[in-house]
Amino acid sequence: MQTLKNFRPALGLLCGATLIFLSGCGKKETVETTSSTKTADEAQAFYDEHPEFFHTKTVADIPTDLKWDNGSDLPDLGSPDAQKGGTVNYWIQDFPRTLRIVGPDSNGSFRPWILDDNVMTYASRHPNVTSLTEDGFQYYPGLAKEWALDRANKTVYIRINPEARWSDGEPITTEDVFFNFFFYRSSYIKAPWYNNFYSTKYLGVTRFDDYTFALHFPELRPDIYSLSLGTTPAPAHFYTELGDDFPERYQWKFAPTTGPYTVSEKDVDKGRSITLRRNKDWWAKDNRYYRNRFNPDRVRLVVIRDNAKAFEAFRKGDIDFFNLRLAEDWYDKLPDTAEEVAKGYIQKIKFYNDIPRPTYGLWMNESRPLVDNRDIRAGIQYALNWELVITKFSRGDWGRMQTSSDGYGDFTHPTLKSRTFSIDKALDRFARAGFTKRGPDGILVNDQGERLSVQLTTGYEHYKDVLTILQEEAIKAGLDIRIEILDRTASWKKVQEKKHDMAFVAFNVGPEMFPRYWETNHSANAYDQAFLEDGSVNPDRKVKVQTNNLQIFADYEFDQIIDAYDRSDDLEEMKQMAYQMEELMYKDASFAPGFVIPFMRHGAWNWLKVPDDGNVKIATAFEEYRMFWVDQDLKKATKAARKSGESFEPAVRVFDQYKLD
Amino acid sequence: MALNPLTIRKLKRFRSIKRGYYSFVLLMLLIVVSLFGEMFVNNRPLIVSYEGKWYFPTYGANLTGETFDLDYTYEADYRDLREKFQTEDRGNWMLMPPVPFDPNENNTFEGVFKPAPPSWMGGPQGHWLGTDTTGRDIFARLFYGFRIAIFFSLAFMALTYLIGIAVGCLMGYYGGIFDLIVQRLIEVWSNIPFLYIVIILFSVIPSTFSIPARIGMLLVVMVLFSWTSMTYYMRTATYREKARDYTAAAVVLGAGPTRIIFNHILPNTISTVVTFMPFTIVSAITAITALDFLGFGLPPPTPSMGELLKQGTQTLTTAPWIVSSAFAALVFILILVTFIGEAVREAFDPKKFTTYQ
Repeated sequence: MQTLKNFRPALGLLCGATLIFLSGCGKKETVETTSSTKTADEAQAFYDEHPEFFHTKTVADIPTDLKWDNGSDLPDLGSPDAQKGGTVNYWIQDFPRTLRIVGPDSNGSFRPWILDDNVMTYASRHPNVTSLTEDGFQYYPGLAKEWALDRANKTVYIRINPEARWSDGEPITTEDVFFNFFFYRSSYIKAPWYNNFYSTKYLGVTRFDDYTFALHFPELRPDIYSLSLGTTPAPAHFYTELGDDFPERYQWKFAPTTGPYTVSEKDVDKGRSITLRRNKDWWAKDNRYYRNRFNPDRVRLVVIRDNAKAFEAFRKGDIDFFNLRLAEDWYDKLPDTAEEVAKGYIQKIKFYNDIPRPTYGLWMNESRPLVDNRDIRAGIQYALNWELVITKFSRGDWGRMQTSSDGYGDFTHPTLKSRTFSIDKALDRFARAGFTKRGPDGILVNDQGERLSVQLTTGYEHYKDVLTILQEEAIKAGLDIRIEILDRTASWKKVQEKKHDMAFVAFNVGPEMFPRYWETNHSANAYDQAFLEDGSVNPDRKVKVQTNNLQIFADYEFDQIIDAYDRSDDLEEMKQMAYQMEELMYKDASFAPGFVIPFMRHGAWNWLKVPDDGNVKIATAFEEYRMFWVDQDLKKATKAARKSGESFEPAVRVFDQYKLD
Repeated sequence: MALNPLTIRKLKRFRSIKRGYYSFVLLMLLIVVSLFGEMFVNNRPLIVSYEGKWYFPTYGANLTGETFDLDYTYEADYRDLREKFQTEDRGNWMLMPPVPFDPNENNTFEGVFKPAPPSWMGGPQGHWLGTDTTGRDIFARLFYGFRIAIFFSLAFMALTYLIGIAVGCLMGYYGGIFDLIVQRLIEVWSNIPFLYIVIILFSVIPSTFSIPARIGMLLVVMVLFSWTSMTYYMRTATYREKARDYTAAAVVLGAGPTRIIFNHILPNTISTVVTFMPFTIVSAITAITALDFLGFGLPPPTPSMGELLKQGTQTLTTAPWIVSSAFAALVFILILVTFIGEAVREAFDPKKFTTYQ
């Protein structure tokens, strides 16, 4: 079962980048070993060794009172006008280091193309119907024909569609479900995160026949379906040579997938391009939720190292769409008056999505001098002029982030607002911390002559301008911010080693049901043994590195709430706890919320058609749900028109049906 | 100071090569002006006359808004203040520098931070070369970028020559096994790829160091990897001079190696060094610009030509004035230095009538 993006470790991409960096000069040759035969026997032995986890029963053992669901009452996805065929050209910044979907280097930016966005899970969360039911989000069927939740036994029953096939034509059975656990728990794959995940999140798996199985969980969380339905099996018939040489042996082998696109050897032009090909006989091609998506026959990804160059390639028509993320891209580089736009060759699409927002903000390290003082932290928040960044840099397009969990719908605190720029309030807070006088350069100093100067570390070179604007404004409040822009990998390493004063980092979150607090706020991720048994501070505690608690935030009371929150199966209770935690975070002031980007915006050549509603509500990327299709006649017409100078109706389209006020 | 008649002749010869000489004068002028740059390019006025009192905000401590009875405690915004003076018309006035912008100051254009075209192309007044992506004045950034780059390269030159000449002379003077070993060491050392070292170092150096300290570290790293090329020339020159009679005479008179190398041999080999100097400066300016361009040079928001070039390549179509200004400025400075270099080489060439084609 590949876990999908919901369980992608936060900032997985960055970690992936680290691996890529370190393994840049790895060995090239395939190491031949003999230990890698008989994988099937080894898997069987593994099942036998763990009878408490792997159970085999008969169909008669399935409870009869289960309420089976198949999600068939949900609306269709995609446009009925969609046409199959054609090629979509797009770009990637680096050539993928591997075609494996697990193990070293596999967590790079290419992964979504063959894994996250491509695979078909047992069932998927409907991306437009986002309301919560008592069972959580609503799912539409994929590999599964139907499923049922047994609350009392914390078990999810799943019946695989007997027609389901791997991309190489082999049937998908419960053998692959068992194998999945063997595969992801094995040390061969060199992926400790998965090893741990599959060892701790599941209590066991039961097989009833070739198509029916059940997953057992240690606890019944409201998002239990994403751990069960939102996963896939692993192809047992493909991984027949598992061994310690797994990373090398499978480096350039494309494993059979449950999804519509595959990569064959002839489509890999190493270092230059990689082409995904649509499986025209895909077993699910008539599935209501898939038939209008995944339309192009080929997706050709060309390596272009430089963003500016890729933009020029887009304007030439070499690639079909382009992310116009920054204001200067949208307004200046491709204005509505640009020839291609005015003549209707290129359409501009702005789509407001409704998803949990990446946490762009400053994370202050409470174990460092100055920022260990709550008044200084609050003062810094008042001294950050995000409003100016939003109005003058993003030209009013971005929004202000209010809490660390914006975009979670009901789980987002309804009234809490982040601190807004105020020189007086900042000066007042700094004065409480002893910084009362301004030095000759306008920066505050305390009685010991110490300057109010803190360092800000980031790896986001493209947001450099945002930081220099904040820096210039903070001087007015007597605060000196020293900006440190490092290489992405180096910056992430520094932050993970907790060597930063303040870090400008965003955690990327999938469209999850409720925010996570354990990773970023639990004392277990701040110190080794933060507290003694009685809840008092452990005087010998040491800062814990390599965790996502970037504030080194440790609060005994907060820990208790997180623990209760993580155990709870009551949505209402969890909501109240989430609000309470956000309020405590506000009081602590160690996370300074920055901005949210409430939309995606792209330029796309007019032959790339999108559905009438643009995209799905929870889309995080234009291509994520593959709603688009290529109008090949229009492509020819447009190419001819570019030569003759003919024009089409210009299209600047804004889809704001999911915009929040 | 009494100069050697030979040196005087060389200087005269240098003066007579007009192109090089005027380039030299112009460059010196630029350097001197940039030394007092705050008086020419700054958003602080040179003089403020307020309620009968005079203030000189250019150097020294910040004058807060309260000094001018404004309701804030941070540094006075002189542009607003000036407008206030004009509307109030109470005899208060201020004298702004010719370019009234600070290199780090973000100015909005049409209400947002975006590049504004030069004033003569219809852009806002005062920005002779327009502004960059966050609305900072390009002229101001180029001006201060030049100041940093030129002093950086002068320091770079001084340090590399100090080490290069000393080591090269020692190798040439002592020769033998010492020469052999040091040569091998230099070969090994000069094979370390300098650019990678800088990139690696700079991605891990903590910015707890102030900006001048970081510039200093960059300088040290660059010097460490650049001194070697000078040793080859000095080594051969010293070898040659060592065999001459005056060196033998000095030895007979009982002079020690230091005295012989620095008082006797060096003045006779200096012409080699001098002709290389301008070209070293050119390469240092190019190197620091290239590093900034790659994003491994000076920390933001330090003004730099390389950083502007980088911005320029990303905004080629939307703000061509960024890249053209930066490019023109860089080429102008490099040409000046190259002209000087050619003239120096010619002036120090003993064969007066050689023509270089």
